[in-house]
Amino acid sequence: MITIETNGLTKRFDSLVAVDRLDMEVQQGEIFGLLGPNGAGKTTTIRMLMDIIKPDEGTIRLLGHPPGHEAQERIGYLPEERGLYRNLKLMECLTYLAVLKGMDRKLVRKRAEMLLERVGLGGEGRIKVNALSKGMQQKAQLVATLVHDPELVILDEPFQGLDPISTEQVKELIWDLRERGKTVVLSTHQMNQVERMCDRILLIDEGRRVLYGPLEEIKARYAEHAVLVRCAGPLEGLVGARRIEQRERDRLIVLEDEISPQDILRQLVEQGIPVERFEVATPPLEEIFIRVVEEKDA
Amino acid sequence: MRKIMEVAQHEFIVNLKRPGFIIATLAIPLLGLLGVIVAAYFGGQAGAFLERQFVGSPKAVGYVDQVGLFTPPLPEYADLFIPYPNEEAAQEALFAEEIEAFLLIPGDYLDTGRVFAYSKGWGLTSAISMSEERIPPFLVDHLLAGQVDEDLRARVRDPMNLLPVSLSPEGEGSEDTASFVANIAIPYAFSILLVIAIFTSSGFLLQGVSEEKENRVIEILLSSLTPMELLAGKILGLGALGLAQILFWLGCGWALIGVAVTGLALFGAINLELMTIVLAVVYFLLGYLLFATLMASAGSLGTSAREGQQIAGIFSGITAIPFMVSGFIWMNPNSLLVQILSYVPLTSPVMMLQRLGMTEVPPYQIAISLVLLVLGIAGALWAGAKVFRMGLLMYGKRPSVSEILRALRQA
Repeated sequence: MITIETNGLTKRFDSLVAVDRLDMEVQQGEIFGLLGPNGAGKTTTIRMLMDIIKPDEGTIRLLGHPPGHEAQERIGYLPEERGLYRNLKLMECLTYLAVLKGMDRKLVRKRAEMLLERVGLGGEGRIKVNALSKGMQQKAQLVATLVHDPELVILDEPFQGLDPISTEQVKELIWDLRERGKTVVLSTHQMNQVERMCDRILLIDEGRRVLYGPLEEIKARYAEHAVLVRCAGPLEGLVGARRIEQRERDRLIVLEDEISPQDILRQLVEQGIPVERFEVATPPLEEIFIRVVEEKDA
Repeated sequence: MRKIMEVAQHEFIVNLKRPGFIIATLAIPLLGLLGVIVAAYFGGQAGAFLERQFVGSPKAVGYVDQVGLFTPPLPEYADLFIPYPNEEAAQEALFAEEIEAFLLIPGDYLDTGRVFAYSKGWGLTSAISMSEERIPPFLVDHLLAGQVDEDLRARVRDPMNLLPVSLSPEGEGSEDTASFVANIAIPYAFSILLVIAIFTSSGFLLQGVSEEKENRVIEILLSSLTPMELLAGKILGLGALGLAQILFWLGCGWALIGVAVTGLALFGAINLELMTIVLAVVYFLLGYLLFATLMASAGSLGTSAREGQQIAGIFSGITAIPFMVSGFIWMNPNSLLVQILSYVPLTSPVMMLQRLGMTEVPPYQIAISLVLLVLGIAGALWAGAKVFRMGLLMYGKRPSVSEILRALRQA
């Protein structure tokens, strides 16, 4: 079932075309990555989805409806520019935002407390927002996004400003949403943060679609004929190795066309080299993105 | 509508708890109570008491009588007017601070009326105050002493006791002081309270929008409701808060008047006409709607609460004009300037609220004023909603005039 569908979505600001004829579909229950560098048009796209700004051209359907009231209450949105009412107690703030999303006031407290517990903010509901640290406010913001149990969750730069532990907590929450059949759109310029999480991605640059589809397919399409090996000692005399490059703690072995990864692994075992890591090399999304943009510009 | 009511409820409760609102709401009745206590404590001598505090006890005035009509002084003036034989003696007394000033009444006084007033330093103020308040009775009494009977002399010295009389359309006049206070001073004070309530409530709206923008809450709000719903909810909630504030002040006012009734005998005299009250409420609501829209737009344009207030200062400055010219209103509540300001939408609510409290405004002026005000509100809402929508999502940058104009042109 399609949760989000856009056709020819376009938004201009004066002479700048922020989003240019964007077509995409997001399926129910998937984690969808809306990726691209800063200024690519991600936030503008999301704001059009959320009916905060109107598109100049194109159509949008969200959960079977055009953007507006019917869809809005079923969506949880964490904007890039985010904040809470600093002078309110956290629970008051969460209640107000949840009620605006159509949630029954009486049901808010229980669910908010459960979510606060999940992100390590249990018992902080009575504290004023301005007394929370910046990281805690970030997590409280995520709770505000999820408190009304939305069917579709749109997270714009969700890991921005989080420490590693908080990042893991948030990732777990996102996984949990997926487990429960919710649809999640993750928008970020930090592609390495989400490339292991997404089922499908849309990579945009200068408002245009650059890459779109299942992440594994895209990675396979741009995969090098190479393996990544972590082992002690020198790697010499490997038959079929075109070249060997150091990649941080690992070594990338680029293979001759007729050589398979299994051939290399066999040689390593035969030579008695203790192998800590061995995997078929796939380029990180950032690298794929750079290649695609360079090819496009060429 | 449900979301508008949720926003209204939120705004009402949050702003009700603001220290600024609590202080402003309590301060006015407390000031009133203080006034009643002062009046009750000092009784009828309050005026004399205040005069003593601010004016001080008058010093004697010397004089050199070269015409020979003012010496010796009449007994009732002997303490405050000291005759001197010549100018040098009077000057000496002046510099010895025995007298505040001295008068030189020349020999040709009867022909010319000239009297020279001498005082230390620039001395203009004391010379003027002397001539205004103390000298004419002194001169009149001495000129007429023995010439006319005592009653006539007293009447010439103090020729009138002016009593203002308000004439109703039915030709009934009321002339006592209590009635003046009841019919003019209290309605006028009430109208000022309405104006204060307008500015308090719309000021909170400005502050609220600016804070939401500064705190970056605004985008979350806009993902749940439209800018118009947000604006409507805020205007409704803060308008209700303003009305609650007025009701509280009115309750306190009635209570205070109840306390003061024995001393001032005003209770029975207060006579606010129903139509005046209705019009006051109409102007309050329309005025609030206009300023609230303008303040919300100003708040959405600023990058911070302070910048929002600076932008709002443009409107506040214009709306303060009726206060600046309140002297004209008191002198002539139907003058041309006052009429013009009663028609301009930005000044008409404040101006009409003041005028309604103190005079009978011609119905055609009320009609023109209301029509223009309603048109002004329609224009402000139309433009305000567009500017509000555009300004809310501009962070860290104030929109330029061309951007605002572009937003206004957009459908």
